[in-house]
Parts: sequence; C-alpha cells; structure tokens
Amino acid sequence: MKTLIIEKIEPKKIGELVSVGKILGGEIDILALGEGPIPGTYGRAFQCPDIIGANLVGSVAELVQKNGYQAVLLSATTLGSELAGRLGARLGAPVLSEVIAVGPDMTVKRPLYGGKAVAEFKIAANPAVLTIRRKYFEPATLDGQTAPEIIRIADPAVELLSEEPVLTQGVRLEDAEIIVSGGRGMGGSDNFSVLREMAGLLHAAVGASRGAVDEGWAPQTMQVGQTGNIVAPGVYFAVGISGASQHLAGIANAKCVVAVNKDEEANIFKRARFGVVCDYKNFVPALIQAIREEQ
Amino acid sequence: MRVPYWNIGYGYAIDLLAFPVLVIFLSGLYNHYRKIRKGQERFKKSPDKEHSRPGPFFISSVLTKGILGTRIYRKFFTGLAHGLVFWGMATLSLGTLLVLADVVLKLPVFSGAFNRWFMSFGLDLAGISVLTGLIFFLVRRLFPPDRLVTPKERKGLFPMAGLLAVIIVTGFLTEAMRIKALGPDPASFIGNFVSGLLPAGVLSTTFHRYLWWLHGFLALGFVAYIPYSPMVHMVLAPVNIALADPRPGPKMGVIDFSFFDDEEEDPENSPALGVAKLGDFTRKRLLDFDTCLWCGRCHEVCPAAQTQQPLSPKKVVLTLAELLAANRFTDELPEVLGSDAIFSCTTCAACMEACPISINQPKTIMQIRQNLAMERSELPELMSKAYNSLEQRRHPFFGTGSGPKDWQKGLDVPVFERGKTEYLLWAGCVATYDERAQKIARAMVNILSHAGISYGVLSKPRCTGDPAKQMGNEFLFTEIARENIEEFSDLQIEKIITLCPHCYNSFTRHYPELGGRYEVIPHSVLISRLIASNLLPVSSDGSSFCYHDPCYLARRNHIEETPRQVLEAIGNLVEMPRSKRESFCCGGGGGNYWSEPSGVRINQVRAKEALDTGTDMIATSCPFCLLMLTDGVKKYTEDNKVFDIAELIDARLRSG
Amino acid sequence: MHIAALAKVVPDYEVPAGDFELAGNRAHSRYTRMIGLYDENAVETGIQLKEKYGAVLSIISYGSSADVPILRKAIAMGADDLSIVQGDSDDPFVIAANLKMAIEQMNDIDLVLAGQQSADLDRGVVHAILAEMLGCTFLAQISEIESGNGAWTVRQNHENGSRMLRLSGRAVFSITSSPQNVPRIPAVRAIMAAKKKPVGKLQGIETPPMQAGEVKVEIPKMESVCEFLSLDDLGQTAKTLLGKLREERYL
Repeated sequence: MKTLIIEKIEPKKIGELVSVGKILGGEIDILALGEGPIPGTYGRAFQCPDIIGANLVGSVAELVQKNGYQAVLLSATTLGSELAGRLGARLGAPVLSEVIAVGPDMTVKRPLYGGKAVAEFKIAANPAVLTIRRKYFEPATLDGQTAPEIIRIADPAVELLSEEPVLTQGVRLEDAEIIVSGGRGMGGSDNFSVLREMAGLLHAAVGASRGAVDEGWAPQTMQVGQTGNIVAPGVYFAVGISGASQHLAGIANAKCVVAVNKDEEANIFKRARFGVVCDYKNFVPALIQAIREEQ
Repeated sequence: MRVPYWNIGYGYAIDLLAFPVLVIFLSGLYNHYRKIRKGQERFKKSPDKEHSRPGPFFISSVLTKGILGTRIYRKFFTGLAHGLVFWGMATLSLGTLLVLADVVLKLPVFSGAFNRWFMSFGLDLAGISVLTGLIFFLVRRLFPPDRLVTPKERKGLFPMAGLLAVIIVTGFLTEAMRIKALGPDPASFIGNFVSGLLPAGVLSTTFHRYLWWLHGFLALGFVAYIPYSPMVHMVLAPVNIALADPRPGPKMGVIDFSFFDDEEEDPENSPALGVAKLGDFTRKRLLDFDTCLWCGRCHEVCPAAQTQQPLSPKKVVLTLAELLAANRFTDELPEVLGSDAIFSCTTCAACMEACPISINQPKTIMQIRQNLAMERSELPELMSKAYNSLEQRRHPFFGTGSGPKDWQKGLDVPVFERGKTEYLLWAGCVATYDERAQKIARAMVNILSHAGISYGVLSKPRCTGDPAKQMGNEFLFTEIARENIEEFSDLQIEKIITLCPHCYNSFTRHYPELGGRYEVIPHSVLISRLIASNLLPVSSDGSSFCYHDPCYLARRNHIEETPRQVLEAIGNLVEMPRSKRESFCCGGGGGNYWSEPSGVRINQVRAKEALDTGTDMIATSCPFCLLMLTDGVKKYTEDNKVFDIAELIDARLRSG
Repeated sequence: MHIAALAKVVPDYEVPAGDFELAGNRAHSRYTRMIGLYDENAVETGIQLKEKYGAVLSIISYGSSADVPILRKAIAMGADDLSIVQGDSDDPFVIAANLKMAIEQMNDIDLVLAGQQSADLDRGVVHAILAEMLGCTFLAQISEIESGNGAWTVRQNHENGSRMLRLSGRAVFSITSSPQNVPRIPAVRAIMAAKKKPVGKLQGIETPPMQAGEVKVEIPKMESVCEFLSLDDLGQTAKTLLGKLREERYL
C-alpha cells in the first residue's frame, strides 16, 4: 500500500503516523509542513512551508492523484480535521477520523459516543484518508533525514495574521493530559510541593479538591470538581482525595484515575482504575523515584 | 367623685379637636392605601373575569399573631416591653374614651369601685407599664443590637417612642397636680407618689391646667402623626397578618402559562413572568414592605446573611420599602438588589418563621428570581448547568457517574404495577444520581421489604421538577410536573413515599394546583409508623443521635416529632441550639446545592453546630441535607458521621 | 449577512459509561435526545454574530422530523428559522450532500457554522466535506469570528495554542467550545414563541455513501473495578503502576 503522511515537522507526531504506515505496509512518503529538516527516511519527501490546512487542499489532492497514494495519513488534530474531509470529498475517498487501530487489510477502528463504543470499518476503496488519534500508536524511531521536494502554495486563500502559542510554563488544568491532584488528606499546603515535583516530571498539571482549596492549601484556580475546573485528562492522580460526588463530576471524563488514599473505604476507589491504599507520604516519593529512573 | 374637666375651661374643645386629628390620621392611612393599590390584585384570574374575588381573611391569625403578638415573645424581653406598651396603651385609650362617655353619655365612670379600681388604679398601672416598656425601647435604640442597625435602622421609632413617654409623664404630672390640689386618691398609687414629691407651695391648679392642655395636645399630635411614622404598624401589622395565609412556608403557588398556548396570542405580549418592578408585586407584598419595622429578626436567622453572603432578607425588604415610600415604581429590581443576592436565598423560610408580622420575604426574593430565570435567563454558572441538565435529561445532576438504575444494583426492586401496587416509592433525583445518596434509596427498599409493604418504583426515574422551581424557572417545573401527573394517572398512583422533603413539598403543595392529588408520606414518617406498629424490630443501643431538621419538613410542613420518634427508638436524641422549625439550613436549598458560595460555608456552620453537641452521629431525613452536611463535617473530622434515618434503621435491621 | 448553523440531534452525550448500551450498532433509543454539545456552541456563535452584525441565522439539520421539537431550542436561543432535511443516513458524504442541497436552496448563505464534531459519532468530517461540495474554504476549530472589510478574521485553536487567520468569501467553520460561546439558556417567552414558528421540511436526497462499510460496533470492556496494587514494596508498586499506565497508553 502506498501511503502519504502529512504532518508538521514534529518527530513524535510523524513517528506515530509512520507506525500506522508500517502496519498498512508498502512505501511511505511524507509531506512535511513547516521549516526544517525532515526526520526519518521515506520513499519521497515533500515539504511545504505553509501550515494552514485550508491552503493545502489543492496541492495535496494533486499530489495524491499524481503519485497514486492509496492511503493518506494525518493526525487527528486541527490540521488533520481541516484537511481530511475536503481531501476526501475532492478525491472521492472514504474519510475516517480519530482512528485508534488499523489492520493491514484496511480494517480500522474508531471510537463513537465519547469512547463509550468502538466501531470497526472495512475500507473498500482507495485512496482512503485517515486521521489518527494521538497517543494510540507508539511513535516509530525516525532514523536519518530525507531531502525534500519543495511545494509552494501559489495563491493561499487563508492569511496567517499571528500565532499565539500557549505559555509552556505550567500546564493548564483543562488541557492537561495528566493531572496530579491533592485533597484534604494532604494535611497542609506545604505538602503540595511533592505533588508539584511529581507533576513537573510528568509534564502534568496540579489540581486540588474543594476541601484542599477550602483549607487554603491551594488557590481556587486549581480546584477540580463540579465547582471548579472540569477536566478530562488521560491520567488523574487523586492523592488524599475522598471522592465526593461533586469532585467526581469534575473528573467524569478522566480516562484513568489512580487513587492514593489511606482509607480503603474512600469513595474515590469506586471511580479509580488503580488504587494504592497507603499514606501518600510514603508512596508519592517512591513514585517520583520510579519516574526519575525511567527518564 | 371626680369631675371630668375639673379646673379646665372649655375642656370639651379637646374632644372637638379630635375630629381634625381623625381626618389627618385617615388621610395618612389613605396615602398608604393608595401606594399599595398600585400592586397587582392578590387573586388575579383569567383576563375574562372582570372582578377578582376578595382573598381570604385569617381571623385567628389576627387574634394570635396580630393582637396577642405571639411571635414577638420569641425574644422575651422585647416581647414583654412591647406587651407592656401595647396593653398599657390599650387600657389608657379605653380610659380616655370612658371620660368622653362620662361627658357625653353621663356614664358614671368616676364613681364607686370602678373609679377606684379602673380609672385610678388601673390607669396608673397602665401608665407605668407603658413607661417601663418605652424606657426599654428607648435605651435599646441608644445601644442597639446588630439586627436593628444592619444594614440600617428605621427612622422615626425613637422620636415617636420618646413623644409617647413625654405624654405619659405629662399625664402623671397632671394627675399629681390634681391630687395635690384636691387631696389623695387612695387607688392612684402613682399619682399619690408623684404628688408627694412635689414641693409644698407649688401652684398646683395653674400647673394642672397647663399640663392638662399640654398632655391633650401632645396625645392628639401623636395620633395624627401615626400614619406618617413607623407607628403605623399598629394598623398595618394586624392587616398584614390577617391577609397572610397561615400555612407555613412561602406558598409560591404555580404560574398559569396557558396564555402561551393560545395560538392567537403573541408570546412577546404576555405579562411579565416573575417580578421585575415594584408594581409587579401583589398588593400583599407591597403591604409587607410598607409594614416592615426593619427589626432584623429575619437577618439574624438567615443562613445567607449569617455567612456573609450578599443576601439579607431585611435588606431586600427595606430596599423595596424605600422604593415604595419614594413612589419609585420603575426601578429594575434585579439591578437594585443584585442577582447575587437573589440567588443566595436557600428558600429555607427561616426569615418568615421569625417575622412577627407575617412578611413573606422568601416569596419576594423568589419572584424576582423567577424574573431573572425566566425572562432574562440569568442563572449563576453552576445553577445553569444543573438547569440545562434538568431541562434536557429531566434531572439536574450533570456529569453524574450513575445511570438511572445504578442504585438498584444487587437489589430486587419491584416496579409499580397499576392496580396491584399500593405505594409508589419515589426515589427523587438525588437518591438516583448521587452515589452517596443512593444508599438512602437502597436502605428504604430493604426497610419496605422487611415491613412487607406493597411498593414499587417507576420503570424510568423522574424528577418532581422542584429544583427548577427553586431556581426560579416555574415554566420548566410546570412542564415536568404535568408529565409526572400524566404518568401517575396512567399508573393510577394514589400513594407516594418520598425520600426527599423537597419532593414531598412539591407533591403536597404544588401538584394539587396542577391537578395531581396524592396521599404523600415522607419516608421518615412512614418509618416512624412502621416502628410504632412493630413491623421493624429495632431497639436502642445507647448511641446518641443529633437530628438536623430539613427546612422543607420542619419549617415548611411542621413535621418535627415523627423523625425524632424514629431516632428515640434506636438511641438517645440530642438537640442542637437551633432545631425544629427554628432549624438552621444546611445551605443546599433553593438550588444552592449547585452554587459556589462565597464567605463562610453554611454547611460547615451547621456541621459544627451539630458536632458541638458531642453526638455520636448526625441524622437527617433529606438527601440534600445529607450531602451538604457530609461535606460540612469533613472540615472537622475524618469520620463519616452523617446518615439518613433510613440508613440508620436499615443498618440495625441487618445487624439485629 | 445570512448565516447557517448546522445542528444535529444526538442521544445524551453524558450517559455514564456504565449505563451505556447499544441497539443495532447505535446508542439505545432510551437515552434522551438533545442538540449536540459543539453544535450548541456553533448556534451560540451564530447568535452572537447575528447580534453584532444584524445577520439572519438559519438552523439546518439533517435527521428525523421527530427531532424538530428538540431543535426548536436553537430558535428559542435566538436563531431566525429552522429547516430540517429528512433522512436517516449516518454516512458523512450523504449527510453533507443533503445539507448542501438545503444551503443552496437558501441561495444567499455567506457563512456556515458547525460544531467541531457531532456528539454521537464524534467524527468531525461532515462540515469539511460540505465545504468542498459547496466549493468554499473550510477552517477547523474556530473560537472567535469577526467580520470587516469583506473578510472574516477568526481565531483558530490548535494543540499548541491559537492563531489568527483572515480569509474572504463564503466559508464553512467548525466551532470549538470556548468561554465566549457557552450556549445561552433560552428565555421562557422565546421558548414559547419558538414552538409556534413554522419549520421548513425538505425531503432528503439519495447519494452514494463512501466506500467504507461499518463492520461492527462494540462497547469496550471497561475495567470499572479498581485494581488495588500490592503494598509490600512501595518502590516496586510505583514501578508496577507506571508500567500498567504505559501498557494501557495513559502515559
């Protein structure tokens, strides 16, 4: 299967798409967006400095038709969703978004209903356009570099006025993929420093339950729960949090809750995927140690 | 024998002067009447009905709360002082009328035992009572308690009380001068005493004449000025009390939305929903504001005001009273009062309960809230999330991790069958969707099965719509209530067991007005009956229980003793300082379960009060109270001490 | 200015996982139906543009006419009219073709707003396909829109922040949720007025679906039971935990 990857020059994202391409088998080409060298070795590499998806549709469609790609792979990001649908419509190609599994026979899986169900599709035509959900495929290691053929957009419809990157210092709770949260069981505001240390290592945000905020151990802006931030991280570490329903309402969409609480009856364990019944003062340092060792 | 108008030339002139005074008095009252008439009729019916029928007039309330002033005595010394002034003045006025009767009708009031015991001793006693009461009030106004002056004090009470004291003193002096001139009157103990204090050579007849006229003019002046001063409460308060439905709670009623269903009518032209301006209130509300003395008893018991939240019922009423006095009928009340304040009300009705003169503060607040909710859609953020969920999913617990049947897991819960099942077990939204509260429903299922009661639940859980009503959206409440009433008719449901006092209150107070009449029994009352009939074998284990009265049971429906009987069957009851119908709210009422409280948390205040009794456990019989107090207690202890009555009984049934 | 906002009626997107069940590869019909989460953000954005620029806002939906009472909420919020294209396909190309028909019948649409994805199939491709069919520009994840000098200036959110973009001509935007477009609660009299508004009903058209058949739909097994980790050696416990989190791709 001849595959074209379209992605900005970000090794992790490209790596994930390469992994998918490898499952499909066959030659992998890349259209890399933005400036800089293209990591990894490909059949052919194209490069376009424009990163606005809407401006790329025509050129990409031409590229796909000219080179006979059977699969076009994008990440399920703003860029991916901006390109995939239009590309599919222009090429008459099936479009499947947010793909979380692929097979060599072109069966793909994607979640429905907020992940409460998963649908499997069999793609019966090519080319097909897929957007791949982030963090579902191990990024392939990208060896070497490939010299690109440069593509320029003749008459871009959309003009980029400015970029406003989010400040990288500290992760916003609502966007965080990992959250380390402390509750009344923390016993004092100084004890939050250990959570901050852990969060720093995991690029995580630090949260707090209402109890902890009430005690003045953490600012209101850190509060997670019905009153406060409603969050949807991949992993939510609940440390010394009993798990009142108001708190649980705020983490309803967390994918995996890890609860550390010395009270084994605590409600949080009902919501947790993993539970550690012990004093956090013993466990969190051990966890920090383990994370350090891994890194 | 005493002679009327002794030593006074043209004494009847004072009686003639009473006529212009009466005119001034009545025209003052008429001014009040004219302002109050600008409100809406109390019983506004469909537009085709030209005349509204007069509303009910509650005679027994006038006698108890009005004349006897029963509520005032909840503050004993204030009540006593008020009683002294009121009854003393009543007696003195009677005495004055009797003098007139003597002059005009030749009624011999100044002779024999009647003169001795009433006209002399009785009136002296009345005079000294009034003076004592007034001194209490005057001193208290000089050193006022917080409730009188927060946020401000009503002007005009001090001068009028002072004037009255001067009238009494001049009365006594007049009497003393007469006694000095004519010799002692054996029963006039004050008059005799004062005349004894007078210096020997005093020109008593001259002074008597001047004092008599001074006393008379001051008294007439006082009467004429009553309608122009807070003293008008002596007229308005009994009327206000007479017009107040004596059932407890604010009696919100339901709104008729049929106007909107009319195909011909343009919804844009319909009358305002709720209250936005002073004139949108009923006349009874305006009378409330006009009558209020700003005594602050409501402020003192209000959970919001006592936790530094933006609401004070006193401030609401006095602000509206000032607008009424200034004839300002165009101000937008949500702006004047602030929507923060309006949404801080937990609808606990403690203010109403404390008010000596039957002012309905919660209804005032809720009607403005209705306007914010229905006309402007301005709800605080969390409430609006709960509202959205209620509107879309028919329950307010957005983000719940529970499905509608999760609480039944592992239990065999029968579904209500038409014609077969006796009781509908109405779980309500909290016990269905909140994990902690689900235990109440599970416990109740066990209790009912144990007692062999014929009961069943709905196949699909529902909400009474009460949270919508509390958040001010009568429209959604009515919509949900009608759906429920329809389903209940289909299932021929007649008897309902509620787990939540809010559901109970809705079913008993508001559903009948929409055509749904049922026999509704709160679970605590049912459990108490089952224990009394020996259907639940429980015995006391010596534990102590502190019972937190849910506002919607105790204050709004006077269900206070039955839940206590349940606790007495299993242990020892301890009481908090504020209990029964003077209970302090958990903070969760009025949609404030979904609020971001500022200041001190009401639930923590209440939890502290309960824990301070040294109780083993805190019991309640409302799922909202249970959740609020469970959360409140966490500040003080790691142990879970808060339980619903049903849970406590169920645990004993299992262990026993 | 004439704006179209696309809205889809979906089963309750907040049904907890433990209560979720399928019937015929789709969510069971017992769940309450409501306008999709992001679609409401799109409607709200449309209303704000209406208020700001005096635009006309039309709501277009593809689905069953039984959903009309639910869609009236969009009118109550402040939209001017509602059209429904009747059909029952789940295919993005079929849906897009039907929406295109409705938009072209309106003749003068300047801007199409759609939620970033429907709240049932979570797909987020129909709007882009529609844009291509209409022959106009499509931008994803828009949170702010301004109009001036014949051009749209918009804020696009992306993984690393946001960017401001400018374009002219007819466009389709997918709308993401932002603090500025929290859907308003309709006022009671607006709800009642909305009930009386006539609704445009269009018969759906048949077009070929995309060539990728749905084989099956399953509910993933959720480990709802908490796995308590051994406490013998906390260092080891920590490693085990990290291992498991990676294994299940949470880290």
